[in-house]
Parts: sequence; structure tokens; C-alpha cells
Amino acid sequence: MTLKLGRHEFDDDATLMMAIVNRTPDSFYDKGATWAEDRAFDRVAQVVGEGAEIVDIGGIKAAPGAEIDAEEEKRRVVDFVARVRSAYPDLVISVDTWRAEVGSAVCEAGADLLNDAWGGADPGLARVAAEHDVALVCTHTGGVPPRTRPHRIEYADVVADAIASTVGQAERAVALGVDRRSVVIDPAHDFGKNTFHSLEVTRRLGEMTATGWPVLVSLSNKDFVGETLDRPVGERLLGTLAATAVCASAGARIYRVHEVPETRQVVDMAWSIAGRRRPRRVVRGLA
Amino acid sequence: MAFLPAAPVLLPEYAGLEDLVGALRAACVDAVTWLVKEAGDTVQVVAPPPDPANASRGVGVSVGTRLAAHLTAVAGFGGRVEAADGASLGSAVLVFGNGSARRGEKAPGHFDERASAFDETTLGALVRGEPAALAGLDDELGVELLADGIAGLRGLGRALAGSPVAASTLYADDPFGVQYWVVTWECGS
Repeated sequence: MTLKLGRHEFDDDATLMMAIVNRTPDSFYDKGATWAEDRAFDRVAQVVGEGAEIVDIGGIKAAPGAEIDAEEEKRRVVDFVARVRSAYPDLVISVDTWRAEVGSAVCEAGADLLNDAWGGADPGLARVAAEHDVALVCTHTGGVPPRTRPHRIEYADVVADAIASTVGQAERAVALGVDRRSVVIDPAHDFGKNTFHSLEVTRRLGEMTATGWPVLVSLSNKDFVGETLDRPVGERLLGTLAATAVCASAGARIYRVHEVPETRQVVDMAWSIAGRRRPRRVVRGLA
Repeated sequence: MAFLPAAPVLLPEYAGLEDLVGALRAACVDAVTWLVKEAGDTVQVVAPPPDPANASRGVGVSVGTRLAAHLTAVAGFGGRVEAADGASLGSAVLVFGNGSARRGEKAPGHFDERASAFDETTLGALVRGEPAALAGLDDELGVELLADGIAGLRGLGRALAGSPVAASTLYADDPFGVQYWVVTWECGS
């Protein structure tokens, strides 16, 4: 099925790079490197140059920290979305927010996609997506509130829980009027999950893609990679790319990443191995 | 008739995202489109037999036969495409073959200093429309130089001996160290 992300459409065999752009002073990976608006704008230019189809703009870090209210979140992202929209008409603009109020404001400013990273914590967000005819990412968090770390959380079957939750949110979004072609599901590695859970959803990602909903994975430099390999932030790229290859083999469509070119190569390679993409330039043995 | 290379890179199953043989492919399609206009209900194919090693691995249909099916379909031909039986040559014949695959250090068969002269002779006969010169090609040397379909060219040359030929060259190049040609012949009787 065609993937419709706001004003943009993609073929059903296309894979998409969603580059992370933080308008935060305290995100775990870049530690505020793009906190200043011009630095964030430079980051957009960089990832567009690297071939990213989507930017995911976020105004609040996922981990616990200083309270950021909706007004401050809007100050961080709304005008920035408008600026990026104006400069890059062909770019898909996603905003990472759980708040309907923020979602509505960024849609007015030109966003194409609402990345509801906290699993429908604000039930009004899907309604906003419908009203503005933008796309929605439905994520699995195991029901934990926004900006909390998993603590002693367990599942009888984490993948079954992830599918039930994300598909349930997806069907609800469609019922509220979101275009069926504009709903994406995300198992949300490390959100409401310990490392064993994140490894299991990676290993069994094919069960999520088998639902028929396009799947987004957000693996980049996360703690499940760090714990698995005992590597600090900054030394997790290889582990991230290994997990990326597994998810690509299983058919994930969108990759939320810090490193665009590296991920693009891994996804293209895995996609070609899976027989879903032709190699780019072939003549060896065929001349 | 039309002379085309039996190069697997032209087959749709081996297409990449980028077409490395766009000009060659366009010339092949032009030649076959021209051919099928006068073809009646049958296009005959002269193609080298399947490579014995490939045949032993289960690939029993030659590249030329597969290319003939593909290119006639692209040209919109709805009639029969069948192997020429040698006894009677129709008006529309696709002849598959190419020059040496030993034309340089990076060529599939590496470099052979005899390749250039051999290809000059073959290509010259095709471009000038000289059946007698085709009939005189050295088949054994062709095999050594990884030239494909030379036996077929010799047979055609003999069959057309004495016929006047108007030749037209649509493509002649060796982009991967293999000599390709796309040449059409309009034969008088």
C-alpha cells in the first residue's frame, strides 16, 4: 500500500530515513549540540544532503528531566517547523510529541507526520492527525507515562503486547478519520522495555510487519545496544547497524536515526538481500 | 535481419537500478522494432546454444533465445519467435553474437592481443554488409577469444553468399571490454 505522509507519497517498497533533529539542550546522544535554532537548521541541511526523506523534530528529551510544558515545547518547535517547511518543500517533516495541543500547532506550521512516541498518552493527538490530514506513528510503551524509564516491567509476550497496542491505536486512528495510508506502527525499542524486551521485538519484528501496517523502528544508539555490547553512547553505531539489518530483513519501512548515510547503506543492502530492491549497478559476470 | 549481442546484462532479470547499457539497449530495441515491421508472423532466431556448463547447472535456454523473446515483446511483436532451422531462412532473422571478451586488462577474459584484429574483421564484415567475409571468419579463434556466435555468423554468410546487402550500424562499442554490435542488414534476393 502507498505510504502517505502528509503532502508526500511513497511506493510500497520504499524505505525511508527519518533523521533525528533535537531542539533540546539535553538529549542523550547529541547533548544539546542542536539546541540553538540555527544549529538545528544546519542539522536539517546536513541530513537532507545525506538523503534523509524525513526529519523528526523533537522539543523534549525522552528521559526524565526538567518539566517542559506545552508552551515551552511549542516555543521550541513550531516556528522551527515553519522555517524548515519554507526551506524544504519536498522534505517530510515529523514532530516528536505526545501532546495534541503541540501537534495541532505544528500541523498549522507545516508538519506532515506526528510521531506519538508515548503510545497515545494524549488521546487527542490522533484526532489532530485526522483534522489536518497528516500521518501518525503509533508506538508501544507498555502503558508507561511519558518520560519515565522502565522499572521492573514484564510481559508474558512483549511482541503480542506491542502488536495489540499499536494495531489497536492504528485502527482507532483510522476510525477517527486518519487516512489508512498514513498510519505507521513502531514497537518503540527501550520504551517500557528492558534490553531483553528490545532484543525480542527486534528478533520477532517480522510479526509486526506481518500485520500489514508499515513499521517504523527507532534503534539509534539506544541503551539496549549499549547494554548488549557494553558500550557507552558514542560507541554504539555498529550495534545499531546490526539491529538495523535485522529489522530491514523483516521489512521495516522507516528508520529513525542519528546516522543517515550508514543506515541507508545497511538498509539498502539488507533490502536487496531480501529481494525487495535491485542492486544499483550490475555488470560483473553479465557482460 | 538484425545482429545483436547475446549479453545477459540486457535481460530484464539482470536489470539494476541504473541502466549501464542504455545506449546499447536502445539500439537493440530500434533494430528489433525495425525487423518485426516486415516480419509477417514469424521471427527466426540464430543464437549460440546454451553454454554446456550452464546447461549442466540446469539452464537449458540460451541467452540469445531469452533476449529474442524479451526484445520482440518490447517491440510489440505478437507472432512466433522460433529457432532458424538452417534449411530455409525467412525475411526476419535475429542473429545473436558478439566479438571478443578479451579486449582489455579488466575484460571478462582479461587481455588477448589478438582480440582487436579479430573484432575488426568481424565488425567490418557486418558494417560493410559482406556475407562472404562472415563466411570466412575463424571459428576456433573466436572460441579462444570468448567471441560468441561466430559459427552462426559463418553459417549465415554462406547462406547469403552473393546476395546484395544494405547494412546499417546502430551501435558498435566495447564498454566492458567485450565487443558489441547492433547492425541491421536488408538483403536483396
